[in-house]
Amino acid sequence: MTNYLLHILIVCEIIIPFALGLQLEIGETGLYNFGHVAFFGISAYASALLTTHGIPFMGALFASLALAGLFAWGVGYPILRLRGDYFGLAMLGFAEIMRKIFLNESWLTRGPMGIPGIPRPSFFGVPIHTLPRFAIFYGLFVIAAAFAVYHVTRSPLGRVFHAIRDDEYSASAVGKDTFRFRRTSLLMGTLLAALGGVFWAHYITFISPSDFTLNETILALLIVVIGGRWGMAGTILATFFVIGFQEGLRFLPLPESFGRLIAPMQQMFFGLVLVLIVLKREKSWFHKGDRLAQG
Amino acid sequence: MSLFLQSLLDGLIAGSIYALFAVGLTLIYGTLHFINFAHGELIMAGAYFAYLFMMPPLHLSPFISGGCAIVGVVCLALLMDRSVFSPLRNANSLLLLIASLGISLFFQNLAQVIWGAEIRTFPFPLERGISLGPVVITPVQAWILIIAAGAIFLLYLFLKFTRAGKAIRSVSDNPRLAKTFGVETERVIRFVWIVAASLAAVGGVLYAADTNLEPHMGTINLVRAFAAVLLGGVGNVWGALIGGIVIGLSENLGVLILPIGYKDAIAFCVIILLLLFRPEGILGVRWGVR
Repeated sequence: MTNYLLHILIVCEIIIPFALGLQLEIGETGLYNFGHVAFFGISAYASALLTTHGIPFMGALFASLALAGLFAWGVGYPILRLRGDYFGLAMLGFAEIMRKIFLNESWLTRGPMGIPGIPRPSFFGVPIHTLPRFAIFYGLFVIAAAFAVYHVTRSPLGRVFHAIRDDEYSASAVGKDTFRFRRTSLLMGTLLAALGGVFWAHYITFISPSDFTLNETILALLIVVIGGRWGMAGTILATFFVIGFQEGLRFLPLPESFGRLIAPMQQMFFGLVLVLIVLKREKSWFHKGDRLAQG
Repeated sequence: MSLFLQSLLDGLIAGSIYALFAVGLTLIYGTLHFINFAHGELIMAGAYFAYLFMMPPLHLSPFISGGCAIVGVVCLALLMDRSVFSPLRNANSLLLLIASLGISLFFQNLAQVIWGAEIRTFPFPLERGISLGPVVITPVQAWILIIAAGAIFLLYLFLKFTRAGKAIRSVSDNPRLAKTFGVETERVIRFVWIVAASLAAVGGVLYAADTNLEPHMGTINLVRAFAAVLLGGVGNVWGALIGGIVIGLSENLGVLILPIGYKDAIAFCVIILLLLFRPEGILGVRWGVR
């Protein structure tokens, strides 16, 4: 039982940075990034490949974050010119193309077979191999990440993000280079997603292209939509809520024949929640409702 | 050479199906101004409804099953509009997009609960292809071309010569002006849903006849449709039509040079390139059925 609770806690610690990244982009800056999972996937693959080729965990971690950041910088340069739903759709396209690359470039990624046997992390000689150690090790990173996000949102930088979210034209009218700030936001969100991706790869120890689909982005979107209204704390709480629900369902004593229905039914429920929240919050959603980042 | 011609024909067949998806999507975009992510699920629903009627115990003929599928999908679309999109009529397009994403997730997984995740095909007998010079076309493919062309022709007649069609064109051209002239916007929106859903259903059935059915078939077809919509210019019906055919051709010709695994990525590349370089579409004319 304790192990099971620890497992849920660790999965939450993986998803929290991922969701916080999206919260920073959508909730703070108004960047509707529907391809968030791409960066989660890039760093998971990068870290898995580096460590299975003998690079120590900490080195692989920073290299993977850097690589994901580089990708965000590269695709951000053209795609950030777009606004609103066009930006979201173009990012979604980017994420799907990345998934096709994971799937088809078998010489690098082993294609649909995925990468098994990803080594467990170690922190300067201390092996992280038990559940409590994972929980503490990841927890420290998550606290650091949350601390950083908290400070960014309260800093002058965060205020520029909010200004861009609420009214980009006014923000540029007072002399803010909004393109640069939007890119900074995308980059920060990406680094958080990438942190989650590395954690995921080294905890599950097996990754394949099917781990990085639109469904993962929707999961983060759901968390942000549920909790984002109350800022960072809300997002973290919503992560526990959603992941607890998701992982909890798996352990319910249900008959075998019902088992294969669990995953789709849970997705149906998530879809329903997404629709209901949007319907409920039509006016107040994300502080500004209708004026947000149009066109 | 014959491989090239065969790919050209296959691309044309696939493209004529994508055109049906794209026209519906662009009509919705033109009148309601949001990207309906659930359009893919209307396509999927059309295919599965037809499958339901074609298989035992009902065993209806493909044409009757297709007709029943259209009715079912139209009801589904009207239900979606009434329950979700209608209360959000004046909301931000991103909220509508997120709501439609939720609907899409819901129905995709509902289909998986009902029919399972496995790939299914329509119970058509295997038939010999007909040789037309260097290319081969199967009877099913010939029917697909005929039905797709017929559907487009009916759409043309509807938009051009009926009062409802004119009302649709006026609202998507300029909603406020249309309202001033006494066009009932809500009624027009209902018509648009009916037309878009019927085309999605027909396209879904044809797509399933050409390839196969699975619960997640909607997403990739939505992407193709969206790429076609952008190609033609958002809200431009005839542009979307041509866009669909272009996407079908470029996918089938693209795999001659690209690895086959990247076939589905072509539509995404088209989307990204178009958004960056020509967001108003190749054919221009933004916002409006011309």
